[in-house]
Amino acid sequence: MTSLWWLALPTLLLPIWWHRKKRVQVKAEPLASARFLPRTEPRQMRVWRWSDIVLLIVRCLLLACAIAWLADPVFPWRGDTVVIAQGADAQWVEREIKAAGYGEAARQLLPAAQALAWLRAHEREFTPGARWLVLGDIPMPAMLPQFRRPLMLRTLARPAPRTESHVAIVSARPQEWQRMFAAIDGPLRIVLDQSPGAATELIVWDAPDAPPATLRAPLWWTTNAGAFTELAQSKAIGAMRYADGARGRVWASTAWPPSDPAAARALLDSWRELQYAPIPYTAPSMTFAPTPGAAVDYASGALRDFLMLALVALFAIERILTHARRT
Amino acid sequence: MALVSSALLAHTTDLELVIRHVLAGLGQGVHAGRERGAGVEFSEYRAYAPGDEWRRVDWKLLARADRYYVREAERDSHVAVWLLLDASASMAEPSRSIQGLDKLGYARTLLACIAAIAQRQGDAFGLAVLSAGRVQFLPAARGPRQLQRVLATLKQVQAEGALPDADVLRTGLRFTASPSLIFAATDFLDWPSSLSDALVRLRHMRHDVRAVCLQTEAECEGSFDSGPAYRDPERDTAVFRFGADLREGYLRNREQHFATVTASLRANDVLQVAARIEQAPGEVLRQWLRQGGRR
Repeated sequence: MTSLWWLALPTLLLPIWWHRKKRVQVKAEPLASARFLPRTEPRQMRVWRWSDIVLLIVRCLLLACAIAWLADPVFPWRGDTVVIAQGADAQWVEREIKAAGYGEAARQLLPAAQALAWLRAHEREFTPGARWLVLGDIPMPAMLPQFRRPLMLRTLARPAPRTESHVAIVSARPQEWQRMFAAIDGPLRIVLDQSPGAATELIVWDAPDAPPATLRAPLWWTTNAGAFTELAQSKAIGAMRYADGARGRVWASTAWPPSDPAAARALLDSWRELQYAPIPYTAPSMTFAPTPGAAVDYASGALRDFLMLALVALFAIERILTHARRT
Repeated sequence: MALVSSALLAHTTDLELVIRHVLAGLGQGVHAGRERGAGVEFSEYRAYAPGDEWRRVDWKLLARADRYYVREAERDSHVAVWLLLDASASMAEPSRSIQGLDKLGYARTLLACIAAIAQRQGDAFGLAVLSAGRVQFLPAARGPRQLQRVLATLKQVQAEGALPDADVLRTGLRFTASPSLIFAATDFLDWPSSLSDALVRLRHMRHDVRAVCLQTEAECEGSFDSGPAYRDPERDTAVFRFGADLREGYLRNREQHFATVTASLRANDVLQVAARIEQAPGEVLRQWLRQGGRR
């Protein structure tokens, strides 16, 4: 817990102690007829005299700043906030904000995947009465998120972005391979290259001779295990063997090209799942009730930059003043 | 006009103004009588100085010379007036009831008034200030310029240090053998002291010595604030305390001290007037001057 650093604040007493001059002073008013009075013990008063007040202040500030930097304080300053996922439809966003009555709220544009995590990390920066509205294509979190305040989630699934994948086929029976790739559906589009190039992500090597040593691709499919020396030490899953080599990862199977649709689908699914990130599932619109006991992540770094600047400036001033005092 | 009160005294440092008001309240009764008329002889002419009375300007000479001349003191005053001011540190004792008033200021006023009276009467007057172990001596002379000198010296006096020791005092007070009138303003807290010795010695030299013993109301009644610690301005750094429990003892000690002082002065035939600085200065002045007449 960084807030335990606040316990170090009593170290501020050190410069105060150093800068205090211990003086015992006897304060007595002159009285002409004092000779008719009995003598008494001088009442000793400890007088606090300060030396180099400016330096003392700077040193105290320096210490306080260092402690604050370590303790990483968080001030609740954010009010009602609308968190908008990047890429959300602007008209839909405006409509939703109006409908939910968040016209005055601050807007925070964040990558969709980070929206909920950001709210969780910065929860302490919000004033107690602040409300949240999260808009956009927010992916479904694996676990139900818990917050100390209500959160309204309005989602609109975006069509998945279309991606292209370049495939080069070196084979004596290219039609069979092409047929398999043509059957692929979904956002992934296959571009068949005439010859392997820099953009090629998959090379289908269905030829008896070995590929040139300079040719590289992230993934190779081959039916000729003998052409790839790295497959000598390979592991096997079912009928397929795989190995990582200098030219890329190699999948090898003698059962290719797949002869039936089920085998083709299995191969293509494996390829998509292993080589490409899954498309996130959009969470349904819902309202999260506040969970009183929810653990609060400690926000880090909200003030750290500023404190670090102040620390450096104060240190410089302190050095200058100390030097000026000596000379 | 009513007598000028001490509270008003504390408001001004202009001695001439104070003199005018105090003496106006005093009336004419204190004057020993100015010698005028047949017995007065012309001695010399002197250039006019501000403060001279117009009637003393010689108008015939003005017509001849186109200058103002004053006919100088027509008589030899057989009495010189000496003003003796104790300006040791203890004289800085303030009045605890009137803000801005202290013993030195009061003594200054009294002596300035005496000087003004002496000047009006045509007497020679001089001043000796005892302060910080030294004697500041202003030789006796007559006339308004002397009054200005005395007032200027009085204005500059600061209460500091202790009284000068007996040797310094003996050489410092170079009084002539002619009988003179000595007005001493002091607080008589040191007794016996070099000043007391000097006063007794001067009295034995047949001078008319009159002392005013200045006190404050708080001193007489023992009504000091019991809060702060006190120190003696002239002695070592010992610290003293005042409280209701110590009042009895304080008053007893003080009474004892001043009984000794009074007895000693009386034995040596030195006149003493005890005055509280909260009293109107005119009143004190009248008492001081009248006592002299009684002897």
